[in-house]
Amino acid sequence: MGSLLAWVQATPLATTIGGSTLLTGFLSAIHLLGLTLLVGGAVVSSLRMLGIILTDRPLDDVTPGPVRGMFVGMAISVASGLLLFAPRASAAAENSFFQVKMLLLGAAIAFYFAVYRGASRRIDHARLAGGIGLLLWAGVAVAGCAFILLE
Amino acid sequence: MSLLNVSESILRACEWLENTQLGILVRESLYGFPILAAIHILGLTVSVGTLIWFDLRLAGVSMPRCPVSSLYRRLMPWTLAGFIIMFVSGAMLFTGFATKAYGNVYFRVKLAAIVLAGANALLYHLVTERRIADWNDAARPPMAARAAGLISIVVWTIVIMAGRMMSYTMFSG
Repeated sequence: MGSLLAWVQATPLATTIGGSTLLTGFLSAIHLLGLTLLVGGAVVSSLRMLGIILTDRPLDDVTPGPVRGMFVGMAISVASGLLLFAPRASAAAENSFFQVKMLLLGAAIAFYFAVYRGASRRIDHARLAGGIGLLLWAGVAVAGCAFILLE
Repeated sequence: MSLLNVSESILRACEWLENTQLGILVRESLYGFPILAAIHILGLTVSVGTLIWFDLRLAGVSMPRCPVSSLYRRLMPWTLAGFIIMFVSGAMLFTGFATKAYGNVYFRVKLAAIVLAGANALLYHLVTERRIADWNDAARPPMAARAAGLISIVVWTIVIMAGRMMSYTMFSG
């Protein structure tokens, strides 16, 4: 594992990103845009699933767009996140905030595909799935902030 | 007053802000900066994150069967709560690093984009929204409403990107 991370960190792509503050800032901006799309989609869809907003509209009128938006946000954040990870792979992997973030991210993505997407279109279990989904993504966002700001 | 004088007095005001107790606390305490920055970013994801979905509805891209006015009524409390959190934490962060922020080109771009976002929202509420009864249920709102939604998404994207670039360039040198 250690040698794999060291190899990632030594690739030309990683050293190019690591050597440029502007490139790192740009990738970080893209990463945050993806997160905004993801969190926004999670908030809007889960609030409807929880029965807090737009309860006079059927689930199907509200959730499909935001749930798809979450996927787009996820793809943008994961792609830019991998590029941000590469130049400091070893240090990040040892950071406990980063480990918590990856654990929650794994759980949130698995929950999204296994449960959330389906539940966002059905009445049964929509509340429970909405609540769990929102909590998981909030956890990913908080752990991400802790990792970048406290390292 | 010449432009040079204006710039000079803004710089003086920034220096004064940095020397207030709040400014010193933000800059020198161990966790003041990271906690405020985290609150700022989380407030942003909720405010802009929810606003995007109203903008996409205005643009005729998403949630075509939701009336525009009910989406606005239900989403705005969350958007506004996020905005208040973002503005308060952002203002506090600014007191700690006012002169550096003032001299940073990305900060200026960010402020200009925020002013544009405000002007776009104001124009929408004062003019376009007045005839909302005609298109509230339309899957594809009129040109002016679609433009307001798209412009909002573009300027908030600029705000987020400039804000992130600012924090990467402000502290070097």
